Order: sequence, then C-alpha cells, then structure tokens
Amino acid sequence: MADTEPAENPAGDSGQGSASPAPSGRGFVHFTDLWLTVLIVAVCGWLYYVTTQFDEVSSLLTQNIGPEWFPRLLIWTIVVLSLLLPFEHLARGSQTASIDEDRSSRIKSISVFTALLMICVVSMIHLFGTLGGMISVCIALPLLWGERRMKILVPYVLIFPPTVALLFTKVLKVYFEPGLFGVAIGG
Amino acid sequence: MGFDALTLGFSLIFDPYNLFLILCGVLIGVMVGALPGLSSPMAVALLLPFTVGLEPIPAISMLAALYCAGTFGGSITAILINAPGAPPAVATAFDGYPMAKNGEAGRALGLAAVSSVIGGVFSLLVFLVATPLLAKVALEFKPPEYFALAIFALSMLAAISGKSSIRNLIAGGIGVLIGTAGIHLTTGVERFTFGIPEISDGIHFVPVLIGLFAMGELLTQSQTLDKTLERISSVVIKLPSREDYRKIKWTILRSCGIGTFIGILPAEGSTVAAIMGYNEAKRFSKEPEKFGSGAIEGIAGPEAANNAAAGGAMVPTLALGIPGSGTTAVILAAFIMHGLRPGPHLLNETPQFVYAIFFAMLFANLMFFAIGLGGAKIFSRITLIPRTLLWPSVFVFSMVGAYSYSSSVFDIWVMLIAGIVGFIMNRHGFGAAPLVMGLILGKLVEESLSQSMIIYDNNWLRLFESPIVVLFFVLTFISLFWPLIKQIWSKAKT
Repeated sequence: MADTEPAENPAGDSGQGSASPAPSGRGFVHFTDLWLTVLIVAVCGWLYYVTTQFDEVSSLLTQNIGPEWFPRLLIWTIVVLSLLLPFEHLARGSQTASIDEDRSSRIKSISVFTALLMICVVSMIHLFGTLGGMISVCIALPLLWGERRMKILVPYVLIFPPTVALLFTKVLKVYFEPGLFGVAIGG
Repeated sequence: MGFDALTLGFSLIFDPYNLFLILCGVLIGVMVGALPGLSSPMAVALLLPFTVGLEPIPAISMLAALYCAGTFGGSITAILINAPGAPPAVATAFDGYPMAKNGEAGRALGLAAVSSVIGGVFSLLVFLVATPLLAKVALEFKPPEYFALAIFALSMLAAISGKSSIRNLIAGGIGVLIGTAGIHLTTGVERFTFGIPEISDGIHFVPVLIGLFAMGELLTQSQTLDKTLERISSVVIKLPSREDYRKIKWTILRSCGIGTFIGILPAEGSTVAAIMGYNEAKRFSKEPEKFGSGAIEGIAGPEAANNAAAGGAMVPTLALGIPGSGTTAVILAAFIMHGLRPGPHLLNETPQFVYAIFFAMLFANLMFFAIGLGGAKIFSRITLIPRTLLWPSVFVFSMVGAYSYSSSVFDIWVMLIAGIVGFIMNRHGFGAAPLVMGLILGKLVEESLSQSMIIYDNNWLRLFESPIVVLFFVLTFISLFWPLIKQIWSKAKT
C-alpha cells in the first residue's frame, strides 16, 4: 500500500545538521538575537550614512520633505524595533523558542555549496550566455545533490534547458544574451 | 450599470483563449500545490514573467486561477503523503493522512475537493458583493487615509502571520526601505543606487519576489534532501455520501465564514484560516476525540476555510490595492507590472475588471473540482518527480524569469541575493511575506505620507483630524498589541 521515495542525498552531510542545538543564551538577553540586533543596527548605521550623501535639493522643490526624510524615518523605525529583539523572548517565549529550534541546526554544507554553485553559474552567464547557464545548472545541481542516475539526468539536460529557452525566445520573445562563448538563440 | 459590467466581465472571460489560460493556471496550481515545498506565492512569482506579453485581464485571471487551485492542490499531498504541498494544507494532514492510512484516501480527497469548492465559491460571492462596496467607501480616501490603511495592513500581517510580530515588522520595514531605492520622484535625487545604473529605476520587485519565494525555498529544501516520504498509492477518489454531507454541512458553512473573514483581513490568509477552521470544527464537533485519527470534519473545516480565504483575500487587493495575503501581494505586483494600480479608482472606471476576475476564479474553482475528481491519482504521482531534478528546474525558471522581466543579468543577481538573504532571514524568523508586502506597499506608504505631511504642513498631529485615520491607527494598535490585550482581558476576567 505504501511505497517509499528513495533517499536522494549522498552529498548532504549527515552529521552536521543535528550536531549542535546551539544554546543561544536565553536569559534576560537572548544572545543570538543580540548579535542579530548588532548586525541590523550596523547595516542601518551605514544606510543612514548613505542618506547623508544624497544630493542636496532646494527646499522649494522638497517642500520640507527631502529625499532622505522617508528612508531615515524607516531606518530609525527598524533600529528601534531591532533593539527589542534581544528581549522579545521574555514576552513571547514559545514563539522565540520555535525560532530557536529552526536555527539551532547549523546550515548544512550542501546548502552553502548550492548557494556557491548558483553564484558561479550567474557569474558565468557573461561568458556562456543564459542557455549555457541553464545547462550548467541542470548538470551541476543534480550532481551536487547526489543524482547519479544518468538515464534520467542525460535526457533532462538535453531536453529541459533548450525547451525553456525556446519557450522564452520564440513564444515570449525574450532575447537571451549569447555570452562571449555561448550560443545565440533567435529572439 | 452593474449588470452591464457583470455581463461584460463574463464575456471577457468566456473566451476560448482566456479559458485555456485559466485551465493552464489551474493545472499549474494543482501541480504546484501538490508538490511539497512549492507554494502558491512562489508559483505566481515564477509565472509573472510569462504573463508580461498578455493583456492584463487574462494575465491576472491566470494568476488568480493558479492561486485558487494551488490552495486545493496542497491537500492532495497532505492526505496522501502527510506532507502538505502548501502551508494552508497543514491542518488537512491532521485527519486526512490518518484517513488515507485507514484505506480511505479516496474519500478524504473527495471531501477535500467538495469542501474546497464550496469554500471557494462562497467567498467569491462575498467578493462579488463586498469589493465594489469597499471600493465605494475607499473613494473618499485621501493620502492620510491611505497611509493609515497601509500601516494597518503591515501591522495585521505582522501580528497574525509568522512567529514574531517584531521580526515581521522589521521585515516589512526592510521591504519598504528596498522600495525607496532609485530616483526620488519629487526631487529627482538618486537614493541607494550606489552608482549602479540599473537601480536608478528602482529595484524591480519581480526578481526580489522570485528570489525570496523560490530561491529561499530551494536553499531550505537543500537542507532536507535526506528526508524520505511515505506514500499512499492506488487512489480512487470518492465523493462524500449523503451521511457525510449531513455531518459536515455546518462545519463547511462555519469555515466558509471564518475563511472569508480572515481572507479579507490583510494577513497570510489561507494558512491562518485553515488552522482556525480546523480548531472550530473540533470545538463544535460531537466527537472531538476522533480528531487526529481521521475525522471527516477535520478535512472539511480547514479545506473550506483555506479556499474561502483565497476569495476573501482578493477583496482588499482589488478594492483598496492592499494585498490580503502573500500570494495576493504577488498578484498585486502583477497588476503594477501591467501598469495598473488596483483600488477604488480602477474599479470605478472599469468595474468589469472585478467581475472578470470573479468569473475567472469561479471557473477556476469548477475546473479544479473536476480535475481533482478526475486526476487526483495522476497529481499524486507528481510527487514522484525526483527533488534532484525538480529544484534545479525551479532554479532555471527563476533565473530565466528574473532575467526576462527586463532582459538584464543584473536582475538575476538581485534574485540570487534576495534568495540567499531570504533564506538566512527565514532561519531567524523573518518572514518573506511581510518583506514582499512592504516592498509592494512601499511606494504607496512613502507617497501618501509625504503628501500628507505636505498637506498638514509637517504637523504629525493633524493626521488625527480624519476619523478614518484614527480608526485605522486604533486597529493598528489593537493588532500589534493583541496578545497583550488578550492577556490583560483574561486576567481581568479571572
């Protein structure tokens, strides 16, 4: 009656995910959230600095509402709210406990490699074009995720990216960049 | 006048081409709904670039059809493999899967299909009546009222959805802040462009939406590749018996009301509605002890509620231009992409628009009912697609979708960064939906606040001159401090 989907991830590291429940210091101050607050405040500080570099405009044009006014208001709001984060668990214990549970396991290396692979593919679009990028994803990502069944991988790589490319170029009239060494597809 | 618009709306939709697009939306919706990890907002975001070349009505109809069908599709996998294809189907799994394990998978799917379509059609009738009425009220709104309304919408989303109101508010604020990048309309000053010419026009929301919903989920899925799913096979769907109908009729009716009401509130409608629908079904049941082991009300309650929320969520989206859920936020983005800004003025000038969407969603409900009855077995097989091929395909669609919006590789980078940042934010409890809502409402918030400040000569207190503004601010306060108010209330009672 019940069949089971095969496990598909020899590449995923088995141990790391469940290794460390990361006690995050839930005393008066929640330390993980404190770091988060520091990060948010730092980014906001930098963004605030950026707003000070906006071009000056005559007050006649701005009517007292300059281009920096609204972003600064938002930055202040975000800073004030983020200052509450380290103490949020005192008021809403169960909810923050659930967030702690979500982030207690470390990010698996497979996720990091997946993100890096995606960055590499997008960086190479200038060289190999959009179709080249699609083909590389269709080869590299399944392999990274542990797919070794060539009888499904090869037809997938041969059929899927060209079909998507043709759909977009011929039906939706999108022009795909061929890249330096890539293939131009008629738009 | 109203009847003319209704017939015009019908004729706009009752066209073979439009019906075909709605059918496509339904098929994609059921498939996406059935696939664990793929959600309606993600599918709508991925489908956005495909609709660029379409007229607004067929485009929005297709996306709305996907939304309706996606909500139902989630129940298939919730019942058959105990893995809700979409968050709104979480509660369906509580009793759906035990029923399936007891050899009643077909009956459970039949109950889900019938309850879903009743919930969907009920909410559409409310949508048909409420949208023009709400739009009429909103015609009186001026910038201060719009500002207060947008703040209320953001606060509702923060209060109801996710795990932390503060984090949701921060995410919403970040979304609004991202929306400020680009050239400031009044002064022509470049803000947060960092010398990148592509940002001068602002950061396009389509790549951000795709990144947050699709790429973020892809990275989340990469963490669970070793998870195995138990699957119930050989399903023949069965319509509920007369005895079943007798047992669930009040549950469905109650859930229709709950779902539609929750849907109209600006928040993550369907999921909250489904959980409330389930809880209320249990509370009113004569046999609450059967819940969790295969009670039919446990399927009817959440399914009627989550589909009713889909129609309800379209009410504020069309009448006020304020999204009622994460998916309708993406649908609102589709409107903007097509050069339209939903709200009272659009409805006043083109009332046939709302009726066309009504008929599109009505047809979508009927189609997914037929497809659900006839094709549940096929759709349950969709989960056999290896994740090692499914998610690379999602990445390809995301990449091409982000690129095709303005044929720019820069947008692929935006999508990728949004995905990675979204994944990290999600781990720390910051939801994607509030960020998207903030991003989409950002322009409205800034414009309405700036205009209000100019009107009131920079005097904040004068905002409170309008009773509607005061009302929205009071509602905002209540929504933000609701847990505290509830606590004080219950303490006072005891």
